[in-house]
Amino acid sequence: MAFATGAIVLAVLGFNPGEVYRVLFKYGYSNMNYLLGKSAPYIMTGLAFSIPAIAGVFNIGGESQLYVGAFLGLLTAYYTGNPLLALIVGAVAGAALGLFIAILRVYRGINEVITAIMVNWIFYYLLAYLIAGKFYNPQYSHESIPVPPGARISSMVTFVIAVFVALIYYYLLYFTDLGYRLRVSGLSPASARYAGFDPSRSVLTSMTLAGAAAGLGGALLVLGITYSIDDTLTAVYGIGFMGIGIGLLGRNHPIGIILSSMFMSGLVIGGQWVELKTGAPPELADTLIGVIVIALAIPYAYSMLIRKLRREAQ
Amino acid sequence: MIGDILNILSNTLFSMVPLTLAAVGEIITEKSGVVNIGLEGIFMLSAFTSTVVTFYTGNPYLGLLVGLLVGALSGVLHGVISVYLKGDQIIAGVGFNSLAYGISLLSLVALWHSHGSSPRVSKIVTFTVGDFSISPLTFVAFLVGILAWWWLEKTPSGLKLRACGEDPKAAEAMGVNVYRTRFYATVIGGALTGLGGAYLVVGWIGQFTKFISAGRGFIALANVAFSNWNPLMAIVGGLVFGFFDALSIYIPIKIQEVTGRVITAESNLFRTIPYIATLIIVAIIMKKVKTPRALGKPYIKE
Repeated sequence: MAFATGAIVLAVLGFNPGEVYRVLFKYGYSNMNYLLGKSAPYIMTGLAFSIPAIAGVFNIGGESQLYVGAFLGLLTAYYTGNPLLALIVGAVAGAALGLFIAILRVYRGINEVITAIMVNWIFYYLLAYLIAGKFYNPQYSHESIPVPPGARISSMVTFVIAVFVALIYYYLLYFTDLGYRLRVSGLSPASARYAGFDPSRSVLTSMTLAGAAAGLGGALLVLGITYSIDDTLTAVYGIGFMGIGIGLLGRNHPIGIILSSMFMSGLVIGGQWVELKTGAPPELADTLIGVIVIALAIPYAYSMLIRKLRREAQ
Repeated sequence: MIGDILNILSNTLFSMVPLTLAAVGEIITEKSGVVNIGLEGIFMLSAFTSTVVTFYTGNPYLGLLVGLLVGALSGVLHGVISVYLKGDQIIAGVGFNSLAYGISLLSLVALWHSHGSSPRVSKIVTFTVGDFSISPLTFVAFLVGILAWWWLEKTPSGLKLRACGEDPKAAEAMGVNVYRTRFYATVIGGALTGLGGAYLVVGWIGQFTKFISAGRGFIALANVAFSNWNPLMAIVGGLVFGFFDALSIYIPIKIQEVTGRVITAESNLFRTIPYIATLIIVAIIMKKVKTPRALGKPYIKE
């Protein structure tokens, strides 16, 4: 359905949808190494959306959580040359930001969507300032200082780390007491209270876990794929928002998220080729994701439709 | 000094228009029980379509009208999904934001082969006296806020609309059609937001740019909470948030003027001001607000 809508949009705008989709799928899914590496940050922002969603919180702040992870991961890698430390710093920075949004919701009652969007913009401009004004590369002034070769990791390793983290989250959610509490809080805060635990704690925990994932995603992105951040932030922009579509498409399940990340990263890579070959801009991916997300918002409609069809079949 | 104050005041009055119009629209929508967080997307789509219409007809008033209609259509879409199909309103809003952003930028490239901005288009009239200028839409925003307040608080149809957001079952029992009421409230909200989006181009900036809405849809949502769902307070909220927006534009220009130094990187730093201010203001007032009780919950007839 998303692709059909996308085709209509493309045709209306004067692009040849057949050609665009052919390029999209031919190039999007051909280079496995690139595809998997690109998936890693998406897996992390997908988790960053889904873990809180399971606990009943809407984290639209994966974007800024990824920014701080990417930026502080980059600085750590640049000044210490230690990739492991850089990944840890990235994850901790993201976690702190996730916790901040959760604290405002729990203790001040502020809707997490509004907070997260404000925080996203604050960090977007802050990062743009820091890269253009403080930590730019003297040789290429439109880029940040680079990750030194010794601190870089291969794209395959970034993918393995991301999958490993997704599996840890899977274990946490479905095989531990903590996961049980998160899930009950999301389904019904009242029953959580009745069962003797505080749903507010689930908000705080899930947002911290989410921020850690997105922050690590940012560090993986910089250390494993881009090695620097450009001053218009195209390297980091949009990955957090993409996480929302990925989480929903993966039905908020860590395994589903790994698969939907690979699907989405193929779309994004394909989108870049589409731009090169046909001139259609990469925002094509945003359009498709928008339609997918809207379609995933209305499960009730599908059950109504199925019931109606069944009744008519009888 | 007087010139500086007039400059900031003038920019505040320009900036408050979309923040007030969208917030008043969203208040009407939310009072009926539907939350639409797709305001950002409506801003983008209306701003873009009104740019296209103004570019090809040369008539910015027609652009304004088309922006309003596109906003209303977005409201129709959200109304169908959230009222009749009982979809998840937050997810639908997020999806719409992404879709609208994508479509606007795809169309920008298709029409003008630019990834950043459209050509400049003509604007609606502004009244200027010396350093001070004001848009007629500022008066419209004030008027819309006052009328919406009067309608919601003082008329029977406004009462019925509020009943749908507080207790839809009771409203239905009193003979109010909850579905229809929520649907038209969502369409009106979309139309007002669309007017604000079109204004961004034809009333203020004069061209469509990639980040033209820049989170203003969400600042408008913050304004709804700030106003405590009172359209009159949404006018005040528009002025408060508009002031910080104006300040963030004014400071780097002033520094450049005074020191003669060209500011590029630092201007990014000043652009964080409206978002930080929004966060602080909302954090201070939020505990005291009263949300419509049935907000965000689909109504299912038994």
